[in-house]
Amino acid sequence: MTGNKAAATAVKLARVEVLSAFPVTPQTTITQYLSEFAANGEIKGEFVNAEGELSTQVIVQAASRAGARTFVCTSGPGQLYMHHPMHSTSSSRLPVVMATVHRGNKSMQPDHTDLMSQTWTGWIQLYCENNQEILDTHLMAYKIAEDKRVRLPVAIGYDGYVLSYTAEPVEVPSQKSVDDWLPPYEYQSILPKDYDPATGGRGFGGGGRDPQQGWITHHEALLNALPVIKEINEDFGKVFGRKYGNGLTETYKTEGAEAVMVAMGSLAGTARAAIDNLQADGKPIGLIKLKCYQPFAVEDFKEYGKKFKAIGMIDRNVCLGHGGAGYRLIRNSLYDMDERPKVLQFHAGLAGKEVRVGDFERVGEKILKAAKGDKVSQVEWV
Amino acid sequence: MDELTITPGSACQGCGAALAARLAFKALGPNTIRHGVPCCPDSATMTPRGGGGVFEGGGAALTGTWRALKAKGITDVQVVGFFGDGGTYDIGLQGISAAAERNENIWVITKDNEAYMNTGNQRSSSTPLYAMTSTTPVGSVIKGKQTGKKNIPMIFAAHHVPFVATASVGYPEDLIAKIEYGKTLTGFKMLIIQSPCPVGWRYDPAKTIEVARSAVQTGIWPLYEITDGEKFKLTYKPRELKPVTEYYKPQARFRHVTDEQLAGIQEDTTKNWEKLLKSDELGQLLI
Repeated sequence: MTGNKAAATAVKLARVEVLSAFPVTPQTTITQYLSEFAANGEIKGEFVNAEGELSTQVIVQAASRAGARTFVCTSGPGQLYMHHPMHSTSSSRLPVVMATVHRGNKSMQPDHTDLMSQTWTGWIQLYCENNQEILDTHLMAYKIAEDKRVRLPVAIGYDGYVLSYTAEPVEVPSQKSVDDWLPPYEYQSILPKDYDPATGGRGFGGGGRDPQQGWITHHEALLNALPVIKEINEDFGKVFGRKYGNGLTETYKTEGAEAVMVAMGSLAGTARAAIDNLQADGKPIGLIKLKCYQPFAVEDFKEYGKKFKAIGMIDRNVCLGHGGAGYRLIRNSLYDMDERPKVLQFHAGLAGKEVRVGDFERVGEKILKAAKGDKVSQVEWV
Repeated sequence: MDELTITPGSACQGCGAALAARLAFKALGPNTIRHGVPCCPDSATMTPRGGGGVFEGGGAALTGTWRALKAKGITDVQVVGFFGDGGTYDIGLQGISAAAERNENIWVITKDNEAYMNTGNQRSSSTPLYAMTSTTPVGSVIKGKQTGKKNIPMIFAAHHVPFVATASVGYPEDLIAKIEYGKTLTGFKMLIIQSPCPVGWRYDPAKTIEVARSAVQTGIWPLYEITDGEKFKLTYKPRELKPVTEYYKPQARFRHVTDEQLAGIQEDTTKNWEKLLKSDELGQLLI
């Protein structure tokens, strides 16, 4: 099934109660599949075909606050349009789950700038490599978002076209197994009464003794989510037989490797093939897949920093005037180490630019050169 | 009827909107979830109060709340938006129009004070022709707002929703009767309450009711209800309209309006009133 069908199927399995969407390429077919499921009675929940993305986000926010399990999905421009209410969804600590089918902001084709530009709204961001992972991550996302230790909205990013419209074999768990694993959502506010809009408060940012408190609490909530994401990934693995690294990052063929490349989303699949070819040639390089971008797995990268002499981050994004988002976070994670590895920056696949396995083989060789101590350029656009 | 608003709250002296809130929520009763968007006097309607939301998201917030209640099998709670003219006429219009088109089972109640009073009297699309606001000042070249008031009730009547009505804080029995009737209907219900603002309209705060009544008696703000976008009824029919000058003269926001301009307003008002009278006679909305 296609990536979009995998997402819609997961939403059905999760027994979502209120869904809202507005069609935007390449997310459109999720909206269509969900409409079909609703028309055939396969989804019992309320499906609101809204008039724009801003409304879809506000609809699921209000529905989540009223105690419903919710789903919303979008792409590129729609993601940007719903930015404002995304802040209040996360500030209100509502467990909304959203699929972002990546479409960059400079073309119709995918890169990660749509979702990454929402980083400051403080949602959890999980990225997917293939269609099976899309289905599984949606199921995990509800469990993560609704966990009382977390209670934050979760965005699931996957590349438009490459995954959204491409069919792959996907194993669909039975409804019973999902029902057993994912109990119904029960609203219970975790905000202090004075802050909780549901009890007459004005929400974080509305004042209080320390006006910064809303930001502090929200930031800490994201950091505290890290072990819970790992725990839920483990648990999913035990029940369904599939897990994704430790839930935050995943290593691929890193045993004996001197260096690693780091990739996100569908580019991780291309990178796996490149690693296979490089290792077949006896080149000691492995792969780290970055699944959870926000919050960032600083501790994981400290461990990788000890093990490998060079790390090359492949960013399918650029924070203009700053650099790659993943690259900056990795370098930041390693700064306090006594002996730091080389960290190289690669930008690849932006605006849907084609990336071939050979491109990443070359990237791998360059990272290995840096690991040997050869001088190489710091930043490269593949 | 229980009082469901904080009185006097933090509203200004003579606040028409605070009165609109008090009357509306008394009539709605306690089994109500309210959504507010930024507007004044928000504090007057602290109870009952629902979730926050964004300025532009009124219609969507009501939709989400209603659909969640429906999904949970709760159908006896009224989901009510209490917005200003900014939230209804302007920034929130798209989402409210969409909610009306989907015929969501919600109330959109607007306390219409004809400008963005919360931020200091900037013009809205509800501001009437020639009115002075802080963004339509009386300058040496341009004097006041150069375009008329958007006809929101008729726009929503054209959505063919179950109930659209106008009301005034000067006629509380009419206002309450409209809410009580609306409570018996399922689907989208809209009530626009003209709520004079002494600070923005510049009149003596003791005269709010007089100003409100005068708007109705001159035909500037006729009271009517439209059901299913078709059936029309004037709910206040004076034998003869008072001249519009009675409404315009006490308000300093119109101080610069010339006699010639007033004559034009009188002509438009009379024409509109005659059309409404004809609709009332037929019981059918003529557009």
